[in-house]
Amino acid sequence: MPAIAVEHLTKTYEGVDAVKGVTFEVNEGEVFALLGPNGAGKTTTIEILEGFRKRDGGRVEVLGDDPADAGTSRHLRERIGVVLQELAVEPFLSVRQALTRNAGYYPNPRSVDEILELVGLAEKADDRVKSLSGGQQRRLDLGLGIVGNPALLFLDEPTTGFDPSARRGAWDVVRALTGGGTTVLLTTHYMDEAEALADRVAVINSGHIIAEGTPESLGGRDVGESSIRFRLADADGHPPVPIPATVSTNGVYEIKTDKEIEVLAALTNWALREKVSVVGLTVERLTLEDVYLRLTGYQPDTDSDAASVSVGSS
Amino acid sequence: MSGTILSARFRGKADLKLVGRQIYYEQLNFWLNPIGAIFTVGFSVVFLVLVGSSTGHQRSSAIGGGLIIKYYVPGFIAYGVMAACFNTLAINIVVRREMGLLKRLRLSPLPTWAMLAAVSASTMIISAAQVILVLLIGRLGYNVPFPHNVAAFVVALVVGAVSFTCVGLGMSTLIPNQEAGAPITSIVFFVLLFLSGLWFPISASSGLAKFSSYFPVRHLILSVYDASIVRKGVTGWSWHDILVMAIWGVAGAFVAARRWSWAPHQAKRGHSRGLSSFGMIGGRRTG
Repeated sequence: MPAIAVEHLTKTYEGVDAVKGVTFEVNEGEVFALLGPNGAGKTTTIEILEGFRKRDGGRVEVLGDDPADAGTSRHLRERIGVVLQELAVEPFLSVRQALTRNAGYYPNPRSVDEILELVGLAEKADDRVKSLSGGQQRRLDLGLGIVGNPALLFLDEPTTGFDPSARRGAWDVVRALTGGGTTVLLTTHYMDEAEALADRVAVINSGHIIAEGTPESLGGRDVGESSIRFRLADADGHPPVPIPATVSTNGVYEIKTDKEIEVLAALTNWALREKVSVVGLTVERLTLEDVYLRLTGYQPDTDSDAASVSVGSS
Repeated sequence: MSGTILSARFRGKADLKLVGRQIYYEQLNFWLNPIGAIFTVGFSVVFLVLVGSSTGHQRSSAIGGGLIIKYYVPGFIAYGVMAACFNTLAINIVVRREMGLLKRLRLSPLPTWAMLAAVSASTMIISAAQVILVLLIGRLGYNVPFPHNVAAFVVALVVGAVSFTCVGLGMSTLIPNQEAGAPITSIVFFVLLFLSGLWFPISASSGLAKFSSYFPVRHLILSVYDASIVRKGVTGWSWHDILVMAIWGVAGAFVAARRWSWAPHQAKRGHSRGLSSFGMIGGRRTG
């Protein structure tokens, strides 16, 4: 049984279709990332799964229950954890008081001391919430999300506003949880976060899922063309480059191809034969961010295209 | 499935314990916030001492030539209850809603009824603490006797507390954002207190009294006053006042039930987070 099953989910706000038939499944123990621009329908989808909003159509099952069923909602909420985009803790309670209170809502909570260690707030346990830094408050938020020992954790942009080391810390917490079998549904704007944490990702745009797969294969990333870039040490007095390439104003040549080996062989043979010094040679596949931007319809700035000129002979 | 249904509703002793814990944390939250505690409890004491010491020994024709201090003690008892159940509660709910605390609570397994029970019980406890405090100050500081009709006194206060809690919950749903919470609620509250004769007794036949009798504030002051101070022809039971308060309570509960929202009313502005959204009660939220 999947931890989450969503089929043809729809939701309309005041005549605007926020979610238009979303379908996906999240397996038990899996980390699943929903990616998409603001307003794409990520948060609406998550809120329906959490039972916070009612759907208009489609089928939704979370840990075997329908989150819209009032009869089972308490039982469901005892098994899920939620970390919201908005930070929400009473400012005057101490860190320990806030965690202890929330732990009491759940039948099998984790120990408060364990959570304090896990999110790195052990030394701040007796400080008031309002005295914590922004990052520390977010970590408390994460702690509150997992104190109930959830089977399924919703993380809505969990590391927005974190500094790089705090992000790594949060990722470690998530990995520790998933190592224990917790299923995670994550939304994020950071592609490196999705790559670091997610087993599978789905891109949602304008209320539709437009791509789904592992971070490595999303949008044909693993089979698509690569980008070969290099510069020439002697910018002027060299023979023509043997392969069609674009060259930017700062002298970087770029070749897009799905035949990397052949192109590299031709390029290096040419360089050795003609005694041309090729520097800074890189071969890159599309990054997850490239794929994401292409999928969500981002148009590159046309000015940068104008700055490149095609060179070489075929 | 009956087990599932039961687990969603009431689980007996375990749930009573849950409510008890929640009341404890509500109380912690209230008393640890200096502004909230001072505004609610401190004000009634300070005002009573100020007006008691300045004009308390005078007599007023509006209350049949009685000592004004004997009007102020029940008046500030009523004030304390209204401040806790209406003013502080409404502001508090708006702040919690806009901060996202209500949403988080909604997503926790704590049942809605348990949360509402704990919030109401907590405002009752704060109210009761003030009632006792003001009674003691009146008795010890100004020689004002304890209420002559204790049953009527308790009924007036309980109906008042419940009604003003409902009105406070209803009021919170009408306030659009955190910035407006404290100003709107406090202006409404203090204007009504003024019109209802808290600061100075007003004659029942005056236009002001007739106008303010459409609102519940004057009725709580009068019903507590009647139950507290012996006067000719007054039994202490003020059923008319209690009825008006109850009607307001039902209206408040109706508005609250119709308009209640767990999510912030104000659209999120970007993704700013941090201390700015935390301020004190009525604090400014930036970003």
